[in-house]
Amino acid sequence: MKLVRSIFEKLHGMRALDKIRPVVDAADAGAFGTGEITEGTPHILDCVDIKRYMSLVIVALIPATLVSILFYGFDAIRIIAVSYAVGGAVEVIFAIVRKHDIHEGFLITGLIFPLVLPPTTPSWMVAVGVVFGTMFGKEMFGGTGRNIFNPALVGRLFITIAFPARMTTNWLMPFADADAVTAATPLSVFKTEGTLASVTDLLIGNTAGSMGETCRIVIILGGIFLILTKVSNWRVPVCYIATVSLFALAGNHFLPERIAPPVFQVFAGGLLFGAFFMATDPVTSPFTRPGKYIFGISCGILTVLIRSFSGYVEGVMFSIVIMNAFTPLIDQIVLMFKYRPAKA
Amino acid sequence: MTPEQKKFAKGYKFNNFEGQPEAKLIQQDIPSTVTIPLKQGFGDEVPPIVEIGQTVKTGQIIARDDESISNPVHSSINGKVAAIEKIDYMGQETTVIIIEFNGNDSFEPLHKASLRWKDMSADKIDELVYLSGAASSGDSGIPTKFNSSSITPDQVENVIIQGIASEIHNISLEILLKGKILSHFTIGLKILQKLMPKAKFHMVLDESQNRTISKALQLMSPGKNIDVVTVPRKYPLHRDEVLIPLLLGKKIPHGYSSANIGAIVLDIAAVLAVYDAVMEGKPIIEKTIALCGPGLKEHTHVNARIGTSLEDILNSRTYPEKDIRLVENSCLTGKTLSDMSLPISRTFSTIIALTEGTEREFLSFVRPGINKDSFSRVFLSSLFEGLSPRIKKGCDTNLHGEVRPCISCGFCEDVCPAKLIPHLLFHQVQNDVIDKLLINYKIFDCIDCNLCSYVCTSKIPLAKYIKDGKGKLIDEGLTCPEPNFPLKGTQH
Repeated sequence: MKLVRSIFEKLHGMRALDKIRPVVDAADAGAFGTGEITEGTPHILDCVDIKRYMSLVIVALIPATLVSILFYGFDAIRIIAVSYAVGGAVEVIFAIVRKHDIHEGFLITGLIFPLVLPPTTPSWMVAVGVVFGTMFGKEMFGGTGRNIFNPALVGRLFITIAFPARMTTNWLMPFADADAVTAATPLSVFKTEGTLASVTDLLIGNTAGSMGETCRIVIILGGIFLILTKVSNWRVPVCYIATVSLFALAGNHFLPERIAPPVFQVFAGGLLFGAFFMATDPVTSPFTRPGKYIFGISCGILTVLIRSFSGYVEGVMFSIVIMNAFTPLIDQIVLMFKYRPAKA
Repeated sequence: MTPEQKKFAKGYKFNNFEGQPEAKLIQQDIPSTVTIPLKQGFGDEVPPIVEIGQTVKTGQIIARDDESISNPVHSSINGKVAAIEKIDYMGQETTVIIIEFNGNDSFEPLHKASLRWKDMSADKIDELVYLSGAASSGDSGIPTKFNSSSITPDQVENVIIQGIASEIHNISLEILLKGKILSHFTIGLKILQKLMPKAKFHMVLDESQNRTISKALQLMSPGKNIDVVTVPRKYPLHRDEVLIPLLLGKKIPHGYSSANIGAIVLDIAAVLAVYDAVMEGKPIIEKTIALCGPGLKEHTHVNARIGTSLEDILNSRTYPEKDIRLVENSCLTGKTLSDMSLPISRTFSTIIALTEGTEREFLSFVRPGINKDSFSRVFLSSLFEGLSPRIKKGCDTNLHGEVRPCISCGFCEDVCPAKLIPHLLFHQVQNDVIDKLLINYKIFDCIDCNLCSYVCTSKIPLAKYIKDGKGKLIDEGLTCPEPNFPLKGTQH
């Protein structure tokens, strides 16, 4: 430990490393906690910090990541590695240019993004998506805490629109060869043939879909873990999922061909992953409590509408991105009502 | 009779921190010199009425001013006035009187002890409470005919006696009320009732004080005109600004004290001081103080004379090799005691010795954190909290992380006892948008409890920004609208 400490002390002393100062600092801060102390009151502080907070999101994603590696083998590792390498490079470059610390956010973006990709995505496309997502989803707005859209979703949305054929038809069943015949996702099967996948298959992940979002059991476990540790707030996912269920229940009653029944809607596609890991991003969802309810409910309505009535089979990504755009407005309106000036 | 229970959704419960004081009381020796500040507790600083070289007795009034809203100050030992000078006392320039001890520890009471306080006139009680300094207790003093508070005894509608141990380190109520002293407390209460006959009395204890609560219930049998309420042991419920709205449903307007809405909040020590004054003729010459925190070898309670220096109290009790920070009364809001030569005053109830957290912890953020406190549940400590009270959580002054931009995690809003959205106010102040919107967002409701800064995931000093924001608003002439109901004690 002392040896590691002394290596860092040496690195800090080297002038040649001045240009990549944020990298050295980040490595140092990753290995050792801060030595800074409080100035005045409060004299002591809560032990939580952004590193711990965000690493728990990674912990919650580990089961889904392992399952995706189990299902898709080397391809999964390849996609995750490219995402981290390229995403990390973008973050480092921005940190060096802007002369600020490397923020921990890319650790989450870099993992969430590959998990929502089809297992057949070529590496260059992963790189394009993550660069676009980090630059236009986060850094353009001023970096961590200021972004309007979830960076992983921005990247995913960009490559979906840029390479529609690649991103909507190249699905694989778990354990299938890369050369195997492509399969269709349960949502598109419902749309084209009107048949429903079984709930058991959906839960354990025996369906085609994005790498990390098919095995719903581990996603639910990860989501509950995040809520229990207070890293994410229960309001958005609960409202989101409840709304999808209720809306699907009513819709399926009147339009059974177009709107799938509630249980299928909840377990199919990226809904659970989106609700637990993307819609809960505190930066891009409302901070006011009523705002969180509005956000969750709106996402739910949009998801069912897009799934049922648009040309796309999945609507989770679009609904969250659309609601991300409305987040500041929702908060403003809630604040307006909450702090209405007293009538004189 | 079961006490009424009040719930409180906000705030934060501090559990199992290291360095809690043991239930033990040690009598501190009389020091060779005492340094007595002339502002202690509620009220203005009072001018000295003794001269250098003059001989003073224990309990003798050495400074008073009957014109201003203030309370007299006493010599805590027999001896000679050695110096009268100005020092920096916790950030405030304060006049102090330095007295040298003459070796004689006798004490002459303010009056011949009368055990029949019921026969004593209200005027006499009034005078004793004032002359003893007991009236300087609490945030707004105990009203008497002598300008000891901003209101008169008749204007008091509610008296709240609180024994809420909601800080990280608290003085032990068991020690304060040990043995016979419990009966002193009851008599003290009755004396206060006689002093403020029109007031309704409330006793508030936190739910962890089971023994004290049951004792209190026995004492406050029906017909004693006092109700017992329990509240959660959540910080900062002991503060007037939080307790009064919770109990009485009234808010203290910004810039005013509880007295202005006819309420007085006193702690247990204040009631005992009233007993001492009236029954034993004893002014406040000593104070029971809890010594806490990981920087001390011995965690205990001491009875020390007012004006005893920190050095005299702590000298043999600190670790010489540790870098420590001394704090008065609260880890969240307490003033730093920068100099060991500073004396203790009436306002002390705990002295906390924190270790300076300059050490960098290896792989800090991936540790299980069994002894790390957090409002979130990201450490193992939250699993073990109920199971093992023996696991003590650390308290040092380390930031525990790098400062990062706000990610709107909402923890600050979850804990804010004033129901504000601290990060919203922070963004406005940080961007230098100092306008009416801040007032609209109720920035003046902030009570500076510092809990938002404590819980912040991004280590942002939110409370400091909010305080700055309030200051800047006032500089720009934008203040909180005056309350639209009549206030007491504002005619001075």
